[in-house]
Amino acid sequence: MNNPYQPIPAQILDIIDETPTIKTFILKPKPTISFEAGQFVELTVPGIGEAPFTPSSSPFANETIEMTIMKVGRVTTGLFNLKPGDWVGLRGPYGQPYPLEKFENKEVFIVGGGVGLAPLRSLFLALVSLKKYKKIYIRYGARTPQDIVYKNLLAKWKTWKGIDVLLTVDVGDKTWKGKVGVVTVILDKIPVDFANSVAVVCGPPIMMKFVTQRLLQAGFADKDIYLSMEKNMSCGLGQCGHCRVGPYFTCKDGPVLTWEQIKDIEDPFL
Amino acid sequence: MEYYFIPVAKFTEWLASLLSEFLVYIPVTEKNKQHFRLLTSEYLSALKKSPSSLSSPIKGEEPDLGDPIRDALTKIRPAESLKGFFFLPREVVSKGFIGEPSNVNYLNPSIGGSKQRIIIGAKNCDLMPLLVHKKMFLEGKFVDPFYQDRLLNTTIISADCPIPETTCFCSLLGINPYPSDGQASDINLTVLTDGYLLEPFTEKGKALIERRADSGERIAIRPARDEEIKEREEQRDKARRTLEAINPKPLTTDLAQAVEQMKDDAFWQEHAKTCIECFGCLVVCPTCFCYLLYDQAENPAFTRTKIWDACYYPAYARVGGGMNPRAEFLARFKNRFHCKFMNFFRDYNFYACSGCGRCLSVCSGKIDIRKILSAL
Repeated sequence: MNNPYQPIPAQILDIIDETPTIKTFILKPKPTISFEAGQFVELTVPGIGEAPFTPSSSPFANETIEMTIMKVGRVTTGLFNLKPGDWVGLRGPYGQPYPLEKFENKEVFIVGGGVGLAPLRSLFLALVSLKKYKKIYIRYGARTPQDIVYKNLLAKWKTWKGIDVLLTVDVGDKTWKGKVGVVTVILDKIPVDFANSVAVVCGPPIMMKFVTQRLLQAGFADKDIYLSMEKNMSCGLGQCGHCRVGPYFTCKDGPVLTWEQIKDIEDPFL
Repeated sequence: MEYYFIPVAKFTEWLASLLSEFLVYIPVTEKNKQHFRLLTSEYLSALKKSPSSLSSPIKGEEPDLGDPIRDALTKIRPAESLKGFFFLPREVVSKGFIGEPSNVNYLNPSIGGSKQRIIIGAKNCDLMPLLVHKKMFLEGKFVDPFYQDRLLNTTIISADCPIPETTCFCSLLGINPYPSDGQASDINLTVLTDGYLLEPFTEKGKALIERRADSGERIAIRPARDEEIKEREEQRDKARRTLEAINPKPLTTDLAQAVEQMKDDAFWQEHAKTCIECFGCLVVCPTCFCYLLYDQAENPAFTRTKIWDACYYPAYARVGGGMNPRAEFLARFKNRFHCKFMNFFRDYNFYACSGCGRCLSVCSGKIDIRKILSAL
């Protein structure tokens, strides 16, 4: 009988330091796991615990699965102590993927904050592989230049046709020549056709709240704003109850919900 | 519809016949409270030695203390619900490795192979919560194989609830003090003056009725007579009237909407003010389905344990980074009502509350959920 609480083993092939607090873990699950962009997995650090993460790698690369993770709590601290060659566990994928069919031939306006760019990278890579988008905008804010994830990738993506990238940092330093300020400072001009665009947002709750306000004000429709909800997704199965937000189980109905779905919920980002 | 009957004098014989094949759980009255206990042949022998009075425990509504089983079957639900028989308070659901890549394997805790069980005497307010759990654990995209296995290996013999008590309010939620179908019961039992009326609902229930002794005869069971069925109906009418007298004022017809529209924190504050945050109400609740998974290192393996959880605990919804959507108790207090009477109802068209009254029975702060629901 299939046991949904049971993870499968995955070996850590490599660990990339992104920032002082964020690393990308390249995992090889046994057997492979296929997922769609936006879905998440439960990652087991053996003997320590389990936590939900959305892969940051392309859903079309099946052999390995990458996750960009910030050290914030017990499980991630345990994970950061592991080395290449060590084994972890994976369950999933869970939740609903981004509805890529609804993004076809549209301008996709991606807004990320901090480690929130991780799941958006998976979406970005899926969109680029499928080549069915009109244009992709990436708007990304980090605390300091040191805290920017995927520095080299962002510089590379910027040069690709149909990709428009803007970055900002809350606090600059001597080397930083770009914008300074929270992510909304690079949202003052949103050069899209709102009738034919979607916005996809992932970041800390407070950033999501203000970005959503800005996107609505700019002209995005409620149904076209896709938000990654950060909730306590413990079981991933739509059972344990912890990730409830309004009428939804974030793990089952999300983790990405549209503003239209959550706008009537009291403090949805809290 | 078929009905069967077991005379009082043969009831222990029938129970004894079940013990050869099944683990049998039955409510027993102990210190004025009912508890599900594992029935043993020793217990049955002791029961035979102090023969029970044949007078009805129902008609005069005087408990028949001579027979703690018969007494318990006529009383309200046991102190503990059926929940723990299927959804264990604590259970290891996964085992794994630590570190060693040469022998990577997750061990499946064993599922299945358990002895067939019969649970006798579950009231309707404990059956309906099983439907809540079936929705959550068996009918979604993911099936809990541990829960499923226990349910498949259990025959439930429910019982009418002839003498509702002041804590009971199933009727307010549209639930009768007896089951009418086999959604969660295989056979229903009614305690009558001279014996026990059985109404099988499912194939599993019918098979139990059809068990035969070596002689080829049914053990202790005969087809019921019309007057016995009539006695049950009279008893049921009386139970319904008792409930109406206990809870004369119906709740608002759209409870989900009433809960949703109650945005006034002062209302919730007023009703929560005597709560001492012991969370006993959720621990005893037969419908609460929340659980927590936690891992423990047990070199060279680790175990993953599933335990009952409750949304009243402060850290219940907290995330890794420390954000807590319901850090204030009042938000958690409201969440219980949103879950049981709004969200669950809108998903499945029935409430995640059966009116069993356990929450108000255990409450040190004397919080009566009926007062809150009727004030909405």
